[in-house]
Amino acid sequence: MHGNHIRSAGELVFNAALFVISLVLLWASYGISGFSSLSSPGALPMAVAFVMAVSSGLILLDCWRKAERDRTRFLRDILPPAVIVMMLFITGYALLLVPLGFLPVSLIFLVLSILYLRRGGVVFAVSVSLLALILVYIVFRLVFTVLMPAGIVPEAEFLAAIGQIFGGGQ
Amino acid sequence: MQALEYFLIPWLDLKLLFLVAAGTFAGVYVGAIPGLSVTMAVSILIGFTFTWDVYPALCLMVGIFMGGVYGGSRTAILLNIPGAPSAIATAMDGYPLAQKGLAGEAIGLSTVMSFVGGLIGIVVLAIAAPTVSEFALVFQPRDYMLLAVLGILLVGSLSGESLVKGIFAGSVGLLIGTVGLDPLTAEERFTFGFTGLWGGISFIAVMIGMFGVSEALMQLHHVDKAAVKQKISRIVPNWSSIRRYLPLSLQTSSIGVLIGALPGTGGDIAALMAYDHAKRVTRDPEVPFGQGAKEGLVAPETANNAAVGGAFIPMLTLGIPGDAVTAIMIGALYIHGLNPGPMLMIEQPQMFWFITGALVLANIFMLIFGLTGIRIFTKIVEMPRAVLIPLILLLSIVGAYAVNNSISDVYWMLGFGVLGYFMKSYGYQLGPVILGVILSRLLDENWRRAIISEQDSIAGLFKGMLTSPLSLVLLAAVVLIFVSQTPLWRGVRGKLGLESKP
Repeated sequence: MHGNHIRSAGELVFNAALFVISLVLLWASYGISGFSSLSSPGALPMAVAFVMAVSSGLILLDCWRKAERDRTRFLRDILPPAVIVMMLFITGYALLLVPLGFLPVSLIFLVLSILYLRRGGVVFAVSVSLLALILVYIVFRLVFTVLMPAGIVPEAEFLAAIGQIFGGGQ
Repeated sequence: MQALEYFLIPWLDLKLLFLVAAGTFAGVYVGAIPGLSVTMAVSILIGFTFTWDVYPALCLMVGIFMGGVYGGSRTAILLNIPGAPSAIATAMDGYPLAQKGLAGEAIGLSTVMSFVGGLIGIVVLAIAAPTVSEFALVFQPRDYMLLAVLGILLVGSLSGESLVKGIFAGSVGLLIGTVGLDPLTAEERFTFGFTGLWGGISFIAVMIGMFGVSEALMQLHHVDKAAVKQKISRIVPNWSSIRRYLPLSLQTSSIGVLIGALPGTGGDIAALMAYDHAKRVTRDPEVPFGQGAKEGLVAPETANNAAVGGAFIPMLTLGIPGDAVTAIMIGALYIHGLNPGPMLMIEQPQMFWFITGALVLANIFMLIFGLTGIRIFTKIVEMPRAVLIPLILLLSIVGAYAVNNSISDVYWMLGFGVLGYFMKSYGYQLGPVILGVILSRLLDENWRRAIISEQDSIAGLFKGMLTSPLSLVLLAAVVLIFVSQTPLWRGVRGKLGLESKP
């Protein structure tokens, strides 16, 4: 908080939100066991929420006093379109992961985001995504044995078929 | 003798040997690619190695940690972009060397010196840790409580723009750690009536969100920046130049170990202090500092790798992490059923010697990979961000999902990713959040033990603190950190160049 007397776009709102959330959490922590005893389950949460409320209050106050705004614009410097779009992409990915399955959703996600970030080049995007997905699949699904939602892809049958080819049809 | 046997486990088992090698290799590249960090890699990896046995998982993570600390120096030298915070000081003289066409020599020298520093750090760890853990047995619950507070405060004050923001971030972490059913009384805490919150918030989801997603989103600001190409010639350094800088490297290694061993301070601070030390003790450098002095390259590189060994001391003996990376390593140990703290050394000495063995091995692999494969390296670093960022996001989601096979962990991860993004944008540090999450349980348990043993009397607790020399020292340290925010201390920070840290 020293030296820097200029505040960025949206900083005041963000700090105010943190302050309000801290107050809500302080109230919620009081609800755990109140002031019953110092060793109660709610003692530490309440102390921590109190520290949060005080510190976020101080931060907000300091931010409020910074009269001068710098030249940052919220939608250009703090939350540019690229960040918003990618946030939406990953949210969509998370929402569709279980119903559609890991492989198709990942492919769509990679192709769309590479296309968007590079602004063009469909062949490049598709080939790089396929390559990356195959690598990720081999490393994580087969080496790390991470279970991902299969969704609409008959993955188990597929793996079993490969296993039969290499394992002599057992 | 038995210690040696445990020490050699990762050396003699081919699979473990391979995993350390693979981890170190990956670490060097992860550390080197701007936008990827060791913290990010280790937190995403926890998700994947969750189901593994503890030995292989540790091998991989130790390798990544060691390689990652070193890898950051590569881009610091070549592009003037430190791949990791601990490489900030490396760029000051490393990049000028590269501009003079001496990039190969600079990389070679920094590799060998990182190896020297790393080795010294591990030797100190092997000697000091058993003593420290014996000493730690006399620690009272209140001492652990103070240590936890100290760790969060130190990370908050040293790494951020302001202590208040550091304290806030640390408290957020502590609060996240308390969500769920209270481990002692099974009372609900911050569950707001959702049974899904009874088990608490998965700290892996918090970690991946804060260090994977938010960093990737941050990188979107520079998505169009192209990588700079550099020609690299000879990379294996002369024996004479190694011998020449060896005395200095021994001094800066000791600085590195010491700083690394303090709770809350890690490789970045160690490197800056070592750089400052080198500047003071080098009477007439061939080239002035800041213009390509090799002393200015050797000092931070030895110190940040020596700090790795140092950081493992409080982590393994007290269960107190030194910085965000060690906090995540502690998280990994928890997940594999280990409980870092003084009892680890007594109940499972094999684990300690195993980790030491893996560290030495990772250090050797770091030397090998550091001096070879420079051609592939330049190719990988040139990987466009438009491909890299979606891949990080994809891996973050897969990693968060993999731990519990639960989609709600993914939502938490995304939520914390967005929160972390805004926190970073407005000058909050994320390191204290993770430290808070990891230390929350330790702080809660020890606070309650301490206050119950004093019959719920605050006066009794303070009396205990003031009459025990150890607690008094720790309490004094906590108070000192608050005092350290006075203008006097700021002058010292400015001198060390900490203010200009990004």
